[in-house]
Amino acid sequence: MSKFVSTVMHSSKTIRHISFAKGSLYLFVIFIIVSWCFIFLPGDSGFVDLFRLETWIHVKIFILKLAGVESELTPAFFQVDRWIATSKLAYRTLAMSVLAMAIAGTGAFLTMVLAARNVSNGDLGGVPSRFGMVMYYLVRANYIVSRAVPELVWAMIIVFFLSPGLLPGALALGLHNIGIVGRLTAEVIENLDPASSVSLRSAGASNSQILIYGIMPQAIPHFITYLLYRWEVVIRTTVVVGFVSAGGLGREFILRLNWFHYTDVTLILIWYLLMVIGVDLLSTWLRKVVDVD
Amino acid sequence: MKFQSVVITRHRGLLLLLLGVFAWSLCSVNWSGPIIHTGGSSSFLKLWLSLFPPDLSPDFLWIASKATWTTFTFAVMGIVLAISLGLPMGVIASGILFERSSSNRVPIIIVFRGLLGGMRAVHELVWAVVLVVAIGLSPVAGIISLGIPYAGILGRIYAELLQGTPRAPIDALKQTGASPLKILFYGYIPYLLPDMLSYTFYRFECSIRASAILSFIGIQGLGYQIQLSLHDLLFDQVWTLLLFLIILIVLVDLWSTRVRRSLLA
Amino acid sequence: MNIHDKKPLILVDNISKYYGSFKALDSVRFTVKAGERVAVAGPSGSGKSSLLNSLAGVIHPEKGQVLVDGNDLAKLQSRKEMCRLVGIIHQQYDLVPQLPVIHNVLAGNLGRWGLFNSLLSLVWPRDRRQVQDILGELGIADKIDDLTSKLSGGEQQRVAIARMMIQSPQLVLADEPVASLDPARAEEGLKLITDLTIDSNKTLVITLHSPHLISAYCSRVIGLREGKLIFDLPTSEVDEHHFHQLYDIGH
Repeated sequence: MSKFVSTVMHSSKTIRHISFAKGSLYLFVIFIIVSWCFIFLPGDSGFVDLFRLETWIHVKIFILKLAGVESELTPAFFQVDRWIATSKLAYRTLAMSVLAMAIAGTGAFLTMVLAARNVSNGDLGGVPSRFGMVMYYLVRANYIVSRAVPELVWAMIIVFFLSPGLLPGALALGLHNIGIVGRLTAEVIENLDPASSVSLRSAGASNSQILIYGIMPQAIPHFITYLLYRWEVVIRTTVVVGFVSAGGLGREFILRLNWFHYTDVTLILIWYLLMVIGVDLLSTWLRKVVDVD
Repeated sequence: MKFQSVVITRHRGLLLLLLGVFAWSLCSVNWSGPIIHTGGSSSFLKLWLSLFPPDLSPDFLWIASKATWTTFTFAVMGIVLAISLGLPMGVIASGILFERSSSNRVPIIIVFRGLLGGMRAVHELVWAVVLVVAIGLSPVAGIISLGIPYAGILGRIYAELLQGTPRAPIDALKQTGASPLKILFYGYIPYLLPDMLSYTFYRFECSIRASAILSFIGIQGLGYQIQLSLHDLLFDQVWTLLLFLIILIVLVDLWSTRVRRSLLA
Repeated sequence: MNIHDKKPLILVDNISKYYGSFKALDSVRFTVKAGERVAVAGPSGSGKSSLLNSLAGVIHPEKGQVLVDGNDLAKLQSRKEMCRLVGIIHQQYDLVPQLPVIHNVLAGNLGRWGLFNSLLSLVWPRDRRQVQDILGELGIADKIDDLTSKLSGGEQQRVAIARMMIQSPQLVLADEPVASLDPARAEEGLKLITDLTIDSNKTLVITLHSPHLISAYCSRVIGLREGKLIFDLPTSEVDEHHFHQLYDIGH
C-alpha cells in the first residue's frame, strides 16, 4: 500500500509547480458554467429536442434517405456515370487544395526569414538592424491577421471581387495558411543553434550567404513538413470553402442538398472521405521521406 | 566519373516534383473566364477604404460584442463536449485499460481509432450542414457539430500520449495491485496532465475560429453577423466584426500560449 | 631566412575579455611569428576558447587589441580580409548537418564568391574536382555527396579541415580539435591539421590537453589558467612541473 502512495506522490510532483495554469483552469471552469447558463437556460437551445422521439425519427429518416433506401430510384452511388462526374469534381477540389498550399508555401517562404527574431535583429552575427526589427513586427502582424481570420471569411470576402471558381477558394485557404506555416517555420529558425552560422561567418560568409548555406538547409525540412501537415487540414476545409467560392465538391454538395438529392450527397461524402484519407496517407508518407533526409 | 549520391538526386527530385505539382494546380484554374468580377475592382477598393474608419457606432459595437460573446460561449461548450467524448474514447483507443495479452485489445483499439478517425475526417461545417438538415437549426446542432470532430482530434492525441508514456512508473503502480482504472487516474493522468492540458488549450483556440465559422449557418455569432453585413455591402461593419474576431483570437492565443508555457516549464 | 628574424604575424596586446563580471581573459600578451605551431594548454574555464575566438575575430576583447598581420581584428570591416587572415575549426566542427559534404567543404569559398555564385554552386557544385582531390587526401573521397549529419565524428572533422583548406587563411585556429576523438583518431586528426600548415607555411594555434601530443606536434606552448597567461615557452623547455602548475587544484 505504501508503495502505491509513494508512486502517486512522485507523479503528482509534476503538477505541483503549476500556478498560472491552475488559475486558468478555474477561470475556464467559470466560463463553462457561464456559457452553459447563457446557452441552455433560455428555452430555445434545442437541447430538449435531443431527447424527443420525433427528433430521432427524423434523424433515422434522414439516414435512410442518405442510404437511398426510401425512394425507388437507383441510388447515385450505384451509378457509374455519377461516380465519374463526382470524381471530376473531387479532382478539381484536390487541385484547389494543392494550389492553396502553393500560395501558402510561396508566401510563407518569402517572409519566414524576416519573421525570425534572431535574423531580423542581427543576432545571427550580422549588424543589428532597425529596418530588420520593423520588418519583423510587420510580418508577424500580418501573420496574426492571416491566421486569425478563418478561411471561410477570407473566401466570402474574396468572392466579392473575384469570379467564383477554384481561384477564390484556393486564395482564401492559401492566405490563411501563410500565417500558420510562416509562424511555425520562423519559430524553428529562432531556435536554431547559431554555431553553424558563426562558423560560416568566420569562413567569410556574408549575411545572405549565411542565410543560404546555414539557415535554409536547416529550416527547409521543417518548412516542408509543416506544409504537408497543413495540407491534411486544408483538404478538409477545401470542400467547405467550396460552399462559398462555388468550386469543386463543396458547391455540388450544397446544390444536391438543396435539391434533396440525398444519395448524391452520400456519394459526395464518400468521395470527400476518400480524398481526406488519401491526402492523410500521402502527407504522412511524404513527411517520412523528408524526415529521413 | 562518379554518380552523384542518392541524397542530391532525391533533393532535386523532390524540388522538381513540388514545382510540377504546383504548376499543375495552376492549370486547373479556369483562366479563360473573367478573373475579376464585373464591378469587382471597385468593390475591392471600397472594401479597403471602409477600413478607415470601421463602424464604431455604439449600437453596432453592442451587436459585435454580443456576437463575440456568443461565438466564445459556443466554442467553450463545443470543447467541453469534445473533451467529454474524446477523453473516454481516447483512453479506450489507447488500449491501456486492457492487459497486453487480452484478445479483445487489438480489435477494440482498431475500432475506436477508426471511430475517432472518422469523426476527425469530416469538417465541422459539413457536420453542421448535415445536422441542421437532420435536427434543424439550433444552438445544440452547432455545439454538436463542433464537438464531434474535435472529440476525434483530441481523442486521437490523448490516445497517442497515453501510449507514449514511459513504462517504469506505470509498472511500479501495477505492482501495487491497482486496477487498470486506478492506474489510469493515479499513474497516467498526473504524468500526462501538462501535455494534455496544453494541447487541449491549443485546440480551444482553434475551436473559436471554428465557432465563428459555424455561426454562418444561422446560429448567432460573429460569422453570422459578417455574412449579414457583407450582403448589405456594409464593409465598415465587416471590418469592425473582423477586428473583434482578430482581437478575440489573439487574446485566446496569448492566454493559451502562457498556459502552455507554464505547464511545460 | 631564420624563422626568428620575421616580424610577428600575431600580436596579442594585453587583452582582457569580460562576460558580465566574469573575467575570461586577463591581460594576456604574447606574439606569434608566421609559420609557428603553437599549443594553448590549460584546464577547463581557463579561457582557451575565448582566446581562440579572439584570435579568430569572432569575439572582441574589452581591453587591448588583437593584431593579425598588422590588422586590428576589432576594426577590420572587410569579411574578405578577415577570412583570408584567420580561419577557425571549433570543437563541435559546426558544419551544417543538412548539407551534403561537398557544400560544407565549398563553404570555404564563401569569402570569395558573390551571392550569385554561392547560390549557383548549391544547385550545380563548382570545383567538384578540387573538392574530390582534397577529400581524397583526407581519406574520405567517397563521402563527397553524403549528408554531413550521417558522418562519424572523425569524418566530420576532416570535412571541417577540408573547408579550412579551401578557405586557406594565413592563420589556422583549432579549438579542442581532438577532445572528442579516441587516441588513434586523435593522432590522425592532429597530423592532418599540422600537415595542412606545414605544407603551405601557415601558422597554427590549437588548444590541446595532452603533453604527449603537444610535444609531438607543436613548437611552442602557452599555458593559461583562470584567464591569465602562466607561461609561454618553446616545447623543448616545458616539463611536468609546468603542467602541474596549470592543472593542479589549489595552486
